[in-house]
Amino acid sequence: MRVNLQPAYVIHSRPYRDTSVILEVFTAEYGRISLVARGTRRQTRRGSKAALLQPFFPLLLSFFGRAELKTLSAIEPVKGMPALRGERLFSGLYMNELLVRLLHRNDAHPALFSAYDCALKALAGIATVDTVLRSFEITLLDELGYGLNLSLDGASGERVNEASHYHYDPELGLVAGSGASGRPAATYSGADLLAMESGEFEGPVRLPAKLLLREVLAAHLGDMPLHSRELFRLKRALSSKRSDAPQS
Amino acid sequence: MKFSPSLQDLIDALRCLPSVGPKSAQRMTLHLLERDRDGALALATALRHAVEKVGHCRLCRNFTELEICELCSDPKRDATVMCVVETPADVLAIEQSGSFRGLYFVLMGHLSPIDGVGPAEIGLEDLQQRVIDEGVAEVILATNPTVEGEATAYYVADMLQPLGVGVSRIAHGVPLGGELEYVDGSTLAHALSGRRLVD
Repeated sequence: MRVNLQPAYVIHSRPYRDTSVILEVFTAEYGRISLVARGTRRQTRRGSKAALLQPFFPLLLSFFGRAELKTLSAIEPVKGMPALRGERLFSGLYMNELLVRLLHRNDAHPALFSAYDCALKALAGIATVDTVLRSFEITLLDELGYGLNLSLDGASGERVNEASHYHYDPELGLVAGSGASGRPAATYSGADLLAMESGEFEGPVRLPAKLLLREVLAAHLGDMPLHSRELFRLKRALSSKRSDAPQS
Repeated sequence: MKFSPSLQDLIDALRCLPSVGPKSAQRMTLHLLERDRDGALALATALRHAVEKVGHCRLCRNFTELEICELCSDPKRDATVMCVVETPADVLAIEQSGSFRGLYFVLMGHLSPIDGVGPAEIGLEDLQQRVIDEGVAEVILATNPTVEGEATAYYVADMLQPLGVGVSRIAHGVPLGGELEYVDGSTLAHALSGRRLVD
């Protein structure tokens, strides 16, 4: 198989041998794949190719190979993407960790790729981090086949009522009431769910949306926690320790 | 043909080295046993010695046989400036440049959520404590200009700035002897945004 100039993002890279790297990349038409990039850490007169193979930069990659690990043959940078800075870098790392943890190799997800692309561009701009991350998480769940229906009660099939409260059931989705006896579950108001349905993730909906998606993702992620989330939590602990005013 | 158990053990043991596969391990083993038994004994002694004696410096976390490494205990070093680097190899590289007289802090890695490396694994609490204890005036963040290195630098800067410490980041730009034509766009953008007035 030989693929030419496939739109892609590097998700993760690790050194391999003396001058090569093994890349985890997310491509538009081939999904998540592993590539070996030979000699990229070698410094030549033309500079090192490693500078191009960084996460969050849109690339066109050419690669070939029949085995699971393909070989990278050419890299073209795509113009026009400012680097992620500061805390937005952590958000990018969080999205990458979600992709590595939830996507299977060689499963094409063109819609998710464009959502990822849009999310990164929004993060590099001035968009609100929460809105970007929540929309990306929802697209990710949709694409994986775990789509979350925010406007229907999973048990009764009725439309979510603004005045009622719902909890999340991994099997059924959102269900009215506060969950089965014995295990107290977090509840979400119908009004909040309908706001999320319409793409509203800020203001009063910010926290419930974050908690709901965390709960839903946790059901698919299994026992191992997301390490990038730890990054945010520790950072918050640091900043609240110094200002005493709790912020999130 | 099957090798004797001790020979096979040695081959398997050598494979713990990076980029040594079964064939290279076999070649190394046969070489050591056939031609260089003294070398093999010296290697064994050196390995045992290093593994047993070399630990991390209590202050900078670099490898050392002492409790506090020679660099940290050198009175001629400027204790008000501290350089934060990712690996011991980075310390060597900076030392060879001869342009830095301060102290180091070696993270032994960088923040990388996918690999499960968080702030605790790279000893950021120790760094914070050391900056407070020693009254460091400036911390130079010399982590690699990769995404993970940037994330680490940002995290450290965010952690140290409230302590009233000056935090700086090493400059990124065009390498000496390089040609602008062949420098990638993001490096060039860094070089332009970090330009300096000619004096």
